[in-house]
Amino acid sequence: MDKSFESVPVFDPRGVIAAPPLPPAPRVHSIAGLRLAVLSNSKWNANKLLRGAAQRLHDDYGIATFSYYQKEAFSRVAPDDLIREIAANNDIALTAIGD
Amino acid sequence: MRSIQKGDTLQTIEDAVAPDVDLIEWYYARGFSDGFPVVPPTVAKIAAVVEILGGEPEFVEGRIPPRFGGLTREVLAINVVMAGCLPEYAPVVRAAILALCEVPFNLNGVQATTHMASPLTIVNGPIAKAIGMNAGCNTFGSGNRANATIGRAIRLIMLNVGGGWPGDLDKSTLGHPGKYTYCIAENEAASPFAPYHVDKGYDPADSTVFVIASEPPHSVSNHISNDPQGILDSICSAMSTIAHNNALTGGHCAVIICPEHASTIAGKGWKRSDIRNYLWMNAGNTFGALAHQHRYGKVYNRQLPVWYKREIDSRIPIVPSPDNIHLFVAGGEAGRFSAFIPGWGPMSTPVLRSLDGVPRANGSACLDDSCSL
Repeated sequence: MDKSFESVPVFDPRGVIAAPPLPPAPRVHSIAGLRLAVLSNSKWNANKLLRGAAQRLHDDYGIATFSYYQKEAFSRVAPDDLIREIAANNDIALTAIGD
Repeated sequence: MRSIQKGDTLQTIEDAVAPDVDLIEWYYARGFSDGFPVVPPTVAKIAAVVEILGGEPEFVEGRIPPRFGGLTREVLAINVVMAGCLPEYAPVVRAAILALCEVPFNLNGVQATTHMASPLTIVNGPIAKAIGMNAGCNTFGSGNRANATIGRAIRLIMLNVGGGWPGDLDKSTLGHPGKYTYCIAENEAASPFAPYHVDKGYDPADSTVFVIASEPPHSVSNHISNDPQGILDSICSAMSTIAHNNALTGGHCAVIICPEHASTIAGKGWKRSDIRNYLWMNAGNTFGALAHQHRYGKVYNRQLPVWYKREIDSRIPIVPSPDNIHLFVAGGEAGRFSAFIPGWGPMSTPVLRSLDGVPRANGSACLDDSCSL
């Protein structure tokens, strides 16, 4: 008997991801003198975590400036305009969840 | 056989295995299950579902976050079959998924959150009866194929296509049982009020799905009150805790009124809007309670609307507006148990959508929200 006749079809239920993968931005080798953007998810403890981290990066690693940005709601994506503003005015960005 | 890894981006494939392969285990082995055995799809079963969805198996209905897998009608059909649905359930599944994919619902966030929320789907209109949904006794429980498998298909699509796998892209700390299936219909036949979708401007002959990211139902027992105020005070009590996300962040919630309670309330001449307004007016917390009396430092709570007073004794409603309390009548004819269902918060807005995608009619069948047909 033909082997293909005996076979049973099976199906992948996941669907295709059409978007090409986005490569991460090139890593910086040193952060001294760079402008840091801090993006808060607006959760209760994000402010403490991120401001503390930014201050340490400034004091210990020579970050030139840091600018603080905030999402309107912690579980929604940051608006495109905000992302563009961060990209235009900073060299590197830091974000974290402060749950 | 082609090797498939969970999370990869291979094209949707149709492959074949030897006839002695245990298909249930085959799907388990690839992670294509919610934990229960799936119904192995066949070409004929998939074709039947695709046909009822309008043909064109390659037509992309949407992309399901956070993985953003393409939900073609064929992929939708595969998941519908795997869930155990009959083909005639498929339009309900599709409508619910399209509702979930509308931007205000923020399915990306619902899938990924550490909160336990999962979409609750509530069906209105003639389709519910036509496909045999259970809106009566034990409506949230087991025992009805349509309720169980429609809700399961929605979840399988969220898992398989959306990639919301626990511990991977779904970071929920606890989850809840509705992450297996969470779908009911409004008990329009037992309700003294107009159906929910009619209240929102649809025609009674329209069929709709309502989706809300929510916790499980919280039972509200009241066997003593013979007036609306007493029944609704019990519901207010269930709403007025500082533990759920509505209290902390606002947003939307659902209230399920059982037929006996609905009958008592309507018997006193109360309308849907009266119920919503009463609940909104009388449920809530003080800001001091939400802020733990500032025991852990001064609290502002920027998640709540800016127009809330934030003094210790200020009353904070459970949601910002009576319209954010979504009322349904459901359940069996016996028993005085209603339910409060907390939502996720303002991060997700519930969506009401017709099965055919046609927007609601101009004007409401319910004049000035009186809504009693």
